[in-house]
Amino acid sequence: MNKWLIPAVTAVALLSGCSSVQRGSIPVVDSGTNVSNSERVSANGGYRQTTVKRPVQPQAQEIPQGDTGVVVMVPGGGAVTSAPISTTPITPGPITPGPITPGPIDTSPVQSAPVNQGSYSMPSTPSGIPSASSGGLSADEQLDGPVLALLTTAQQQQAGGDLNGASSSLERAQRVAPREPQVLYRLAQVRMAQGDAPQAEQFARRGLTFANGRPALQASLWELIAQAREKQGDSAGAALARQKAKVTS
Amino acid sequence: MTRTRSPRTPKNPPSRGLRPWLGWALKLSLVGLVVLAGFAVYLDAIVQEKFSGKRWMIPAKVYARPLELFVGQKLSRDDFLTELDALGYRRESVANGPGAASVNGNTVDLNTRGFQFYEGMEQAQPVRVRFSGDYVAELSAAKGSKLSVVRLEPLLIGGLYPKNLEDRILIKIDQVPPYLLETLVAVEDRDFYHHFGVSPKSIARAIWVNGSSGRMRQGGSTLTQQLVKNFYLTNERSLTRKLTEAMMALLLELHYDKREILEAYLNEVFIGQDGQRAVHGFGLASQFFFSQPLAELKLHQVALLVGMVKGPSSYNPRRYPERALERRNLVLDVLQEQGVATAEQVEAAKKMPLGVTKRGSLADSSFPGFLDLVKRQLREDYRDEDLTEEGLRIFTSFDPILQMKAEASVNDTFKRLSGRKGSDEVEAAMVVTNPETGEVQAMIGSRQASFAGFNRALDAVRPIGSLIKPAVYLTALEKPSQYTLTSWLSDDSFSVKGADGQVWKPQNYDRRSHGTVFLYQGLAHSYNLSTARLGLAVGVPNVLKTLGRLGVSREFPAFPSMLLGAGGMTPIEVATMYQTLANGGFNTPMRGIRSVLTAEGEPLKRYPFQIQQRFDPASIYLIQSAMQRVMREGTGSSVYNVLPKTLTLAGKTGTSNDSRDSWFAGFSQDLLAVVWLGRDDNGKTPFTGATGALQVWTSFMRKADPLPLDMPQPDNIVQAWVDSRTGQGSDAGCPGAVQMPYIRGSEPPPGPACGGESPINGETVMDWVKGWMN
Repeated sequence: MNKWLIPAVTAVALLSGCSSVQRGSIPVVDSGTNVSNSERVSANGGYRQTTVKRPVQPQAQEIPQGDTGVVVMVPGGGAVTSAPISTTPITPGPITPGPITPGPIDTSPVQSAPVNQGSYSMPSTPSGIPSASSGGLSADEQLDGPVLALLTTAQQQQAGGDLNGASSSLERAQRVAPREPQVLYRLAQVRMAQGDAPQAEQFARRGLTFANGRPALQASLWELIAQAREKQGDSAGAALARQKAKVTS
Repeated sequence: MTRTRSPRTPKNPPSRGLRPWLGWALKLSLVGLVVLAGFAVYLDAIVQEKFSGKRWMIPAKVYARPLELFVGQKLSRDDFLTELDALGYRRESVANGPGAASVNGNTVDLNTRGFQFYEGMEQAQPVRVRFSGDYVAELSAAKGSKLSVVRLEPLLIGGLYPKNLEDRILIKIDQVPPYLLETLVAVEDRDFYHHFGVSPKSIARAIWVNGSSGRMRQGGSTLTQQLVKNFYLTNERSLTRKLTEAMMALLLELHYDKREILEAYLNEVFIGQDGQRAVHGFGLASQFFFSQPLAELKLHQVALLVGMVKGPSSYNPRRYPERALERRNLVLDVLQEQGVATAEQVEAAKKMPLGVTKRGSLADSSFPGFLDLVKRQLREDYRDEDLTEEGLRIFTSFDPILQMKAEASVNDTFKRLSGRKGSDEVEAAMVVTNPETGEVQAMIGSRQASFAGFNRALDAVRPIGSLIKPAVYLTALEKPSQYTLTSWLSDDSFSVKGADGQVWKPQNYDRRSHGTVFLYQGLAHSYNLSTARLGLAVGVPNVLKTLGRLGVSREFPAFPSMLLGAGGMTPIEVATMYQTLANGGFNTPMRGIRSVLTAEGEPLKRYPFQIQQRFDPASIYLIQSAMQRVMREGTGSSVYNVLPKTLTLAGKTGTSNDSRDSWFAGFSQDLLAVVWLGRDDNGKTPFTGATGALQVWTSFMRKADPLPLDMPQPDNIVQAWVDSRTGQGSDAGCPGAVQMPYIRGSEPPPGPACGGESPINGETVMDWVKGWMN
């Protein structure tokens, strides 16, 4: 027993290099042969394609309701009084531009979405948030559902000193309601707290583009811009922003 | 020997006979024992070192975005169920336990599994989701109380491993499903709880079998020995190795208890091969074959996995389903025989199908294009070893549902256009992003999206053709005192001599001049002559500056031909550029990764959302308006053959010389997609931007069903009534009057009233409603 163990020991010791086994050098081998690539690389034919259902009877479509503040505009209901497509029918004259004569402006509806001319079938804000035009109050009480829940979470995280967590929760809220200026305002605030004044200003500016008709919120956003500019050493810019904050509030 | 010859030791002459041999034997035995002891100590060090330290290198895991649920969310029930299937939710009549779902019409009850995210833990909970149309109408907890927001666990979409590396999902022994341990012991090592690492009984049997057959055929290994073999040793089949293995098994049993050894075994064992990746451990095997967490497996699934240990290749259930089924049922018989399961349970389990996920389903697809993007972004921040060994958890913005829709759009469109000569050689690339968040949601780097390799979405630099035109028009529209959407442009042919002495003589696609056109028409119809004239008027360097502000970091020479897109860009660069147009003039660096957690779930790094305002929203509003005209009346108008007219979209076609590149880039409110078609050898294709890439794009938008584009009107934009033929100020009541947006102060003076009332009448509204319904 012992005799043949000597060469065995030497061999093993040599093979092992008398050191601990290196991580990564342990080949795990079993009887399995490689399954070919094609197994996973099969075509996507098996994917069940979802058919896109369009509401043929928009009036019959049940609209998510409840206390969530979702604003869903139903076509046919409120469209009659709004204007954007109204010019279509009466257009006389050449519809198709000839090669030489200048063509007329095509009068088909261009829904470049003036704020108050809602004539779409689908909500323009995807979530349970109030529409931006619903008033000038910037209080949290206007928010509801997921956005309020996420802003609350972010608030708690910020209060607990977890600015990264708060930031992450706010970005989550922004994904849920990308056009809610209060979310952008809070994001700007947290960026300020993180010491990132340039981004704070950018988010506040983005917030302003969605804050039409909400003067209190606009004033807060301008005030934040002023602070961010001060932090960046731009006192003239800060003064300008303060001016705006006064005008809007 | 020399000593015995010494004259000073005559009293003790050396004895003859057996004694010296015995002495030698004794000495040798002593040496042997010492060496053996030393070897044992050495083995013991190895055994302990590896077992007590970090036992495995775990490749980083990459996750898709978690699906968020909230009331008012746009999500169809079918898409939701696709996601649930991919996550391996069991369909049950009454959802019972994590990972179960029951579908009842538009209502889905499910028990989420819970997950550790960057922001914190998402608890497992019962949830009821009711759908209405393509929206979530109701979200409540089990007791009926409303829930504001719920996140599902994210789909695992891949890992980052070097070639030929083993992959695994670590599990703890208390996370295993019922029957797993009993089944494993019953099938692989019945004496496991009673032996000390080796089982003399089985060895004797193995020697007998091997001896009589003359070859090494039977293992007779205990679970401990199997673990040692896989964990510490090579696959060499020799007596030496066998004995080393036995020694190590004994040592392992000396130091660690049965449960620890069993847990290591569960994580170590090899159960399948996925291309280059070796699937190790029951945790990953469960995800790989059933796309379910191990803890949720039922008896028949447990039996299948345990049965596969004997021969992962020959019992591969995807490859040899019959053989695997036979083996599974054999295992089930053993369980009944051993009293692990009752006859009824075994009978019921035998009736179950194999239950492995289908090929090509969301759960069984790979997404090399997107993973490539993730890898590149991670490599900027981490060393390769960190990515392949530390078990990091990478959270991305990848949307598997959109990815499947994008892949289906490419496949469908190629199938539909297959009659065109030369379409077989045409390759494809696609980038899908959310313009509101700057996140990449889907990516296709090859016509066969599941082939890893040249990632055209990131690496194919191709002339962008007319995709550049929005930059030309935006440069002009930023000067409202000089240009508005209704400024006149000449579309007559011309030629210029460049600084290099070359004459440049652009032509329209239809080789005709279109006289004098409104500025927006030059973009909508993609007229080269009027665009080139405009670009030269505002200055090529200024157009290139605009391109830079849009987010394109590539440098281009200021040649006039740049105005028509002679410069090359990658699809992802195009996406960056169009994202700034879509997002109100705010540029966002493209992100594919949201955050990174350690293997233990500790936050490690975040990739924050960043934006930078590059343009005044008013000029963006105007360019978007012109890009909507592209879709309504210009080169992109074929989309409305397929999509409803209410879906406002903006975009631009692009075709390079001789149709070598077919591009389309466009966006809705919440979705941006860039499609490129072309040949790798840069040969001619049968497609223009409109007949090729736009078809893929349209197909994708139809499947994805996005929200209509709806940019809030900036304060300094006014809507003015103008005569559609002259562009002069008009009145709402005048014939031919249309409303156009202008930056305040640049609108034409209002025209006189024509006495008519508002042009709306019942008939036209009906026409419009009809159009909407089509």
